[in-house]
Amino acid sequence: MRERRRNRQRKGIRLQPGSEGHLSDLDRGQKAIVLDFHNDNAALRRRLLDMGITKGVVVEIKKIAPLGDPIDIRLRGYELCIRRKDMQSIDIKVIE
Amino acid sequence: MKIALVGNQNSGKTTLFNTLTGTNQKVGNWPGVTIERKEGVIVGTEIEIVDLPGVYSLSPYSTEEEISRQFAMEEKPDLIINIIDATSLERSLYLTTQLLELDTDVIIALNMSDVLEKSGITVNIDCLSKRLNTTIVSISAKKNIGVDELIEIVKKGSYKKNKHDFIYDEEIENVISSIAANINVAHKRFAAVKIIEKDRDYRPLITEEITEKVSALEKMYEMDSEQLIADQRYRHIVRIKEECSTQVDKGETITDKLDRIFLHKYFGLPIFALIMAVVYFLSVGLIGGLTVDFVAALFDGAETIEIFGRETPFAIAGLGPLVAQGLENIGASPWAISLVVDGIIAGFGAVSSFLPQLVILFLCLALLETTGYMSRISFFLDRIFKKFGLSGKSLIPFIVGSGCSVPGIMASRTVENEEERKMTAILTPFVPCSAKLPIIALFAGYFFSQFAWLITLSLYFFAIIVILVSAMILKKFVYKNSFSSYLSELPNYHAPSAVYVFRDVSDKTWSFIKRAGTIIVLCSIAVWFLASFTWTFNYIDGEIYHIENSILAGIGNAFAWLFYPMLGGTWSWGATVSAVQGLIAKEQVVSSLEVIAGLEGSGEAIFESGIFGFFTGWSAYAFMVFNLFSAPCFAAIGAMRKELGSTKAMFKAIFFQTGIAWTLATIIGMIGWMVV
Repeated sequence: MRERRRNRQRKGIRLQPGSEGHLSDLDRGQKAIVLDFHNDNAALRRRLLDMGITKGVVVEIKKIAPLGDPIDIRLRGYELCIRRKDMQSIDIKVIE
Repeated sequence: MKIALVGNQNSGKTTLFNTLTGTNQKVGNWPGVTIERKEGVIVGTEIEIVDLPGVYSLSPYSTEEEISRQFAMEEKPDLIINIIDATSLERSLYLTTQLLELDTDVIIALNMSDVLEKSGITVNIDCLSKRLNTTIVSISAKKNIGVDELIEIVKKGSYKKNKHDFIYDEEIENVISSIAANINVAHKRFAAVKIIEKDRDYRPLITEEITEKVSALEKMYEMDSEQLIADQRYRHIVRIKEECSTQVDKGETITDKLDRIFLHKYFGLPIFALIMAVVYFLSVGLIGGLTVDFVAALFDGAETIEIFGRETPFAIAGLGPLVAQGLENIGASPWAISLVVDGIIAGFGAVSSFLPQLVILFLCLALLETTGYMSRISFFLDRIFKKFGLSGKSLIPFIVGSGCSVPGIMASRTVENEEERKMTAILTPFVPCSAKLPIIALFAGYFFSQFAWLITLSLYFFAIIVILVSAMILKKFVYKNSFSSYLSELPNYHAPSAVYVFRDVSDKTWSFIKRAGTIIVLCSIAVWFLASFTWTFNYIDGEIYHIENSILAGIGNAFAWLFYPMLGGTWSWGATVSAVQGLIAKEQVVSSLEVIAGLEGSGEAIFESGIFGFFTGWSAYAFMVFNLFSAPCFAAIGAMRKELGSTKAMFKAIFFQTGIAWTLATIIGMIGWMVV
């Protein structure tokens, strides 16, 4: 329920290039630079790093699962599926 | 010489391994875990090669990574072949940079060189080889290009030795060399980097001095050391990639176009349902309808067979009657003939008649997997599974489990979260596996004839509901505090590789035949014995003694009360012992029914025999439900024990499964009892 409300809110404001937010705030097709991520789960943190989510990497929202979650993002020349919830812990700056 | 084959998931590692070793393979398990360990000998050489699990990194956070790391550190391979997917160079090289820190030589097999051009990517191999300072062979594992060259290089040992290039900034390299100089472990450079990362396994080696140096670095770069190392690795890789490869943006790729359809907001799920329906319609409906009676006729003999519900003339003597005749001619005693015909041939025949449809099912699943669609299924169903405390990745074990629960349960290893993994292992046996298909095919085929495929489909949906509801129950009462995530690569669509598909299908089919040929025949003999002799070991000849006097009937009668309500108020020792035999192997249920019906001596088909004539549509459905969801076969129970970690947890799981099965079957049976 809460998730749905948040999604609706998100649809209202599309983040403009230059503004900062979380990876989960982006719409399909938008590109952003990763600024930082904060996550207290050591295993997940490590995994995000290993999969190439480091500071300064450019990510693009490519595909969204038919049910709205998870999201498929493109980075470093490949595609990675990630849940909206985990994207919330990644800070970004929109570039496109 | 011993070689390790290392690479990401979906890098073509398995295909390369198969090409390198041909049929010369040995499949076992890694000690203590149920992840498959494949070893082989490279064709035309005496070089041993071990296929390590697909990993993205050598971090110690997943079992696969731990295994790969341990193997590289402890079993000391002479050489590592690192297979890399050329179309995702950047991510693939991340693992390479870690492998190159080991004190082992590493050569790179750059895979999929045949699809590079299409994807608009070019890779300058000389440049890449120079920058990574290692030998690189361009190959296509699928089309068997460059593999001979790879073998040649390995055989001659004409590859570059691992020289440990400096890839980090000077300040970091300084700290690495100072740590490496002061520790006394193998693979010093690798260890030093892991110490800086504060890796779990290397924490005891961290001294105060090191802590100081590392925090100085962290302050300087404004990120923690784990981030720092990953960041530096990727910086190094990006530099190499920019120097040695070019990429023309080809716009929307074929994969993107296909995903527009398969991951469509509204059509995605219906398409999935349609694909699964086609898979099961083809295997159970079409091929099943065509062949079941035909194969059965080969064993039992027939005048006519039923093809799609139509009587078709097909006169054949059949293996069973022929052998019986032969044995009689040489003067064999009645019980010996019965042993061979009613025990061995009947048991094997009952299982074999379902083989053609199994082959088609295995074929469809292999196609779904190799084309990349399987990953999509887990991607778009994650949202639903998450709600029930599972991850989309649980779906892969479930789908593999529709072939066989054992590899399905083993595949639950890909679920990273421990509680989700255990839940997946407990729930996978609920999926109707191929050994349960004979049960479904038998009952559905007889009682629901042309709607058999619909009943089959309904059982699959029933299974999904049971899985989800059980997941909720487990989540609520057993696995309460799970933190979960879903991180997974979405591979590009590939044209299926004929070699891979053929291999996969023949492996699975062969292992099914082997099971049918060993365990099941043995059990059939045991059942035959118990059904053919009385408690005083008199042979049941059908004149003085009847099958009701058999040992088997006695055992069945002791438990028949449990099955009384689900069979619509019928006391049937035959159905009871058959269901219990599902523990040995699920397909055994069918052969047991067959053997018992055969011994009764009326010569009629199973459900026309006096002993099983009581079955109605309702009790057939209830009986199927019980067999589908109750405790799996011993092999699967063994796999479950390994994944759950203790015998106690295993027994709890079995009790849970059987409890659910009994309750559901009883409810269905009772409804039928009341209504009819």
